[in-house]
Amino acid sequence: MFCSIKSPALRRYLIRVSIMTALCFLISVVAALVFQFFLPHDPHGALAYLAAVLPALPVIGALVYTGVYLAEEKDEFQRYLLVQSLLGGTGGILAVLTAWGNMEDIANAPHLDLIYVYPLFWVFAGISYHLVKTRYR
Amino acid sequence: MKNRLRVLRAEREWSQADLAQRLEVSRQSVNAIETGKFDPSLPLAFKLARLFETTIEAIFMDEGQGPS
Repeated sequence: MFCSIKSPALRRYLIRVSIMTALCFLISVVAALVFQFFLPHDPHGALAYLAAVLPALPVIGALVYTGVYLAEEKDEFQRYLLVQSLLGGTGGILAVLTAWGNMEDIANAPHLDLIYVYPLFWVFAGISYHLVKTRYR
Repeated sequence: MKNRLRVLRAEREWSQADLAQRLEVSRQSVNAIETGKFDPSLPLAFKLARLFETTIEAIFMDEGQGPS
């Protein structure tokens, strides 16, 4: 599946992320079953905090893997493209959240759950990657 | 930064992909360097110089001083 990718660092990154995604899916299914059948439906106290923090762990893992990929990638131009994209993603999500927060406070816009921040970050990073890449064609 | 990569590559009849393979970088990287849109690091510039058996100054032009 990843054999056509020439960069060994990128290949390793995609394999790691794929394995982590599969593991997260498995763990989330098991966790859902445990919560459904063995734990109270309305968790509180430490259990509620644990349930709230769990979804952040794969996010942290994915960011760590991105950092490892940046450290391992020998192609400096590809590193440069990724760093520019991540900066674009960070800038984009900060701008949107700042604007949306103000819209919630001032214009009663609907509440945006913070769980969407991470996927939105990658949406902006992806757009940014293609914009940066077009400059070098 | 202006450079003579295209000429040096053409002299050896290498494609951008050939050069990329020798440098262990992507073809896009070679294209970006060749078109002067991306300046390589010093280690990569030395690698290019070694590959073409010349000096860095013979490949890259210091735009402040003109071609060497």
